[in-house]
Amino acid sequence: MSETICAVATPPGRGGIGIVRVSGPACRDVAQALLGFVPSPRIATLADFRVIDGEVLDSGIALYFPAPASYTGEDVLELQGHGSPIALDRVVSYILEQDVRLANPGEFTERAFRNDKLDLAQAEAVADLIASASAEAARAATRSLSGEFSRRVRELDQSVLTLRIYIESAIDFAEEEIDFLGDREQHDQLAAMEGLVKELIERSTAGLTMQIGLDVAIAGDPNVGKSSLLNQLLGEDRAIVTSTAGTTRDTLHGELSIDGLPVRLTDTAGLRLSEDPIEVLGMKRAEAALEKADCVLWVVEDADENAAPPEEYRVKTLIVRNKCDLTGSRPGFLGEESFRTCALTGAGLAELREGLKRVAGFRTGSDAFAGRPRHITSLKRAHGALLNAARELSARQGELVAENLRVAHDCLGEIVGVTTSDDLLGEIFATFCIGK
Amino acid sequence: MKYPTAFDVIVIGGGHAGVEAALASARVGASTLLLTQAIETIGQMSCNPAIGGIGKSHLVREIDALGGAMAIAADQAGIHFRTLNNSKGPAVRATRAQADRVLYRNAIRQVVERQANLTVYQDMMIDLTLKSDRIVSVTTRLGTEIEGAAVVLTTGTFLGGRIFVGKQQHSGGRAGDPASLELSEKLRTLPLAAGRLKTGTPPRIDGSTVDFSKLEAQPGDEPRPVMSFLGSRDMHPQQVSCHITHTNAETHEIIRRALDQSPMFTGEIEGVGPRYCPSIEDKVVRFAERDQHQIFVEPEGLQTTELYPNGISTSLPFDVQHEAVRTIRGFENAHITRPGYAIEYDFFDPRGLMPSLETKNIENLFFAGQINGTTGYEEAAAQGLVAGLNAARKVAGQTAWVPQRHEAYIGVLIDDLTTMGANEPYRMFTSRAEYRLRLRQDNADLRLTPVGRELGLVPEDRFNVFTARRDRLDVCNKVLARTTVHLNSDLANKLSNETGEGISKDVSLLDFAKRPGVRAEHLTASGVFSDKDEAFLVQALIDVKYDGYLRRQDQAIERSREQMGVRLPGDMDFAGIDGLSNELREKLENIRPSTLGRAASIPGMTPAALSLLSVHAKRHSGIRKTA
Repeated sequence: MSETICAVATPPGRGGIGIVRVSGPACRDVAQALLGFVPSPRIATLADFRVIDGEVLDSGIALYFPAPASYTGEDVLELQGHGSPIALDRVVSYILEQDVRLANPGEFTERAFRNDKLDLAQAEAVADLIASASAEAARAATRSLSGEFSRRVRELDQSVLTLRIYIESAIDFAEEEIDFLGDREQHDQLAAMEGLVKELIERSTAGLTMQIGLDVAIAGDPNVGKSSLLNQLLGEDRAIVTSTAGTTRDTLHGELSIDGLPVRLTDTAGLRLSEDPIEVLGMKRAEAALEKADCVLWVVEDADENAAPPEEYRVKTLIVRNKCDLTGSRPGFLGEESFRTCALTGAGLAELREGLKRVAGFRTGSDAFAGRPRHITSLKRAHGALLNAARELSARQGELVAENLRVAHDCLGEIVGVTTSDDLLGEIFATFCIGK
Repeated sequence: MKYPTAFDVIVIGGGHAGVEAALASARVGASTLLLTQAIETIGQMSCNPAIGGIGKSHLVREIDALGGAMAIAADQAGIHFRTLNNSKGPAVRATRAQADRVLYRNAIRQVVERQANLTVYQDMMIDLTLKSDRIVSVTTRLGTEIEGAAVVLTTGTFLGGRIFVGKQQHSGGRAGDPASLELSEKLRTLPLAAGRLKTGTPPRIDGSTVDFSKLEAQPGDEPRPVMSFLGSRDMHPQQVSCHITHTNAETHEIIRRALDQSPMFTGEIEGVGPRYCPSIEDKVVRFAERDQHQIFVEPEGLQTTELYPNGISTSLPFDVQHEAVRTIRGFENAHITRPGYAIEYDFFDPRGLMPSLETKNIENLFFAGQINGTTGYEEAAAQGLVAGLNAARKVAGQTAWVPQRHEAYIGVLIDDLTTMGANEPYRMFTSRAEYRLRLRQDNADLRLTPVGRELGLVPEDRFNVFTARRDRLDVCNKVLARTTVHLNSDLANKLSNETGEGISKDVSLLDFAKRPGVRAEHLTASGVFSDKDEAFLVQALIDVKYDGYLRRQDQAIERSREQMGVRLPGDMDFAGIDGLSNELREKLENIRPSTLGRAASIPGMTPAALSLLSVHAKRHSGIRKTA
């Protein structure tokens, strides 16, 4: 890999800091040309970025990571300048005049991967990191990137392997006086693994939700305050709010972030019989929004006795008893999935936000993994197989315990790489003295 | 000098691979020659006197289902039968027979001599002739050139064989038999990747010098199992017991002191030995914490007092063997009749074979048995059958037949060998089969006899026995599915009483049979079936109880057939695929899998890497089309 590559590493157009990253053997030359010196390895150094003996393009922090102790495994130079797209562009253009080409999308990560700096799961997590829309999701992605997700799955994979060594030995080497099927220990090990997978699923699912966020539809009868609720949650006058029933004729959207959890709100047209063609169209869109929502806020007037949402809602539904200023009842969380609010004043909305976080399985960034849907599917299948294995172990069906453990192992292998039967046999021979 | 006739198929070697190869080739109608250096040793069991075992008897039953000789010979020669894993479920249940060496050899020789289309000739092959990378004839030590359209090589441990006892070593193919040295040198000039493997045997002991009162007797199992689908207990000769004893700390100490005289530890043996069949010196070193190791004392036959002490294979010098053996309980005065030895021999990387077992680089040359890096009579016989069949089919202009991994252990064996190669002598284990629940002893005939009949491997009399069995099984299955157990009926009461399972509503007999407590004898006792159906019901209930698992596996097979059948072009540039780890690239470059399915079986493979491969395969074929 002899080419040196360069690109702006921060998202275009945002932020107060813009980072230019250079990776490859020409890094020292680039530093010499642009800074007039090569910064000490891994020490943040204030410097002017300038054309040799000429004008200053920008100034900021320069960082030099010699190979192999860098993100890509190659020499890396990072220039943290000011966020201005024009300044960044000038720096990059100047670097490209040295023996450097522009990096392809994802090429830094690819090089890191190729230089064995990342395993596949980590590389995928980097892809997630880049795509992360929120700070919490970025934190979850970082944890996976640091290898914790990989490490946890690998540990689990190892536990399954260890148990399989015993079970498969008992089957294939029946005359070696190895029979562990009745051991209490095997039951305990299975139960522990099952718990671990379950936790991994929860944490990965939370991480996934942190990235993709929650689609929330606000629904309810006309004029119960749906649009006011949307406005209050968004903190802006997004919807036109009047006291005339049917004001919202189309769906209105808005995005907000609850402690980093991206929430996309859709205010649906009030559901009522109408002959106004525009309003009917609006209600059709409302139905569509309800179908793809992860969660529905069913808004009713607090004074209304019958607060039950329509039965056909299959998604998670939170009941919002609005206009509590009219009944004089205390706003807040009412238990189960009910809330009392006043959308005009914002009373009770803090509790509602917490409710949405619970729906998302919100965990603080220290606790969530950047799960990928594929990983979660594999983990869920592994979980099912481990439950079956425990059942068959109780029935002392050795070959079926083995079958379920094989399936579980294969599922985990989908994340961290498969263990072949030959690998398994190798472990058996290393563990037991087999052989007549 | 030319041999007077030319053959379709010439099989070199009369061991377990050679015999099944010659028989299969002849059964499907090819004129076949079995060339062996000693007719007396056709069907010889060179190592332990036993056929079958876990994973291995699965292979034997498959060979049997395809018309092979091994299972019936084991029934005719078996002097001690056991059912292994009886408590662990039908899929992993296995049969093992201790066989009288002489009876076994005689049984095999009789089948060979009676087989139509098969000629036996005694001489030693030392050379072969190629015409533009195709084999056309073999030449013997007497200078006879024999023409054959296809040749199956089954050289066992004879190819470049070298025997080690302590610091002594000499050339040999087996104790008492010469090695094939000229042939070894000849083959090493061909474009085949040669390597060396090692195996060993224990010293044999004169039973009249053993104190059996100090050994634990291990009688055969009752009811006594049979090996062949055509076998019966009436075929079995007199039955005898095996015995068990153990090494001890004193034995280990003697061995430890003599390690500097073991060629395995002094580096004289370069070949890799099997980890699952370690020598006693290996066991003592690798598992130093164990103060004893089990020895199965197996009779060599009914007409001899010689014993095979299974578990102490060794290449230590004779005096050390003598001293160590005499520390073992019951062996205090034991006389060694033949010293144990290690043997190192040539094999060729089986990744150089097509699944038909034809070599990729030399047309019409087939390999079977230990030459492919396997160990065991059963593994050898299975390959022999496939190689002999496919040699005959190749000559007849027909496509090869190879069972798939979900169809037979034979399929697992061949796929493993040709995909992964052999880092050590390859032995079958049930854990190698991902479709273990369907690849059972009891249904080997249902899986393979119909296709065997189509291939011409299964003669009519065997097929008739099979169809009768299958038809009766079908009837049992239909009755199970069609019978309803009505609430409070006589049948319901009888079944409840027999099984202790409550019946609270009308239920089909099939669903009732899925309950864990229901066994075949309950169904016969209830009167729905007659007593003679019990054996069929036992088998029907296996499928009933595995039903959910088998259906899930069916889906997996279907999925993998679709996805994994994707062909990877022969000239695919694996090294140039971005996003693969260096390790995977290297493995792919070495193995060069022909399909996605084969790539999936490479250790460390991930779905992400597989999807990369499929994308590149698609891109590759797209480029080729437009080019």
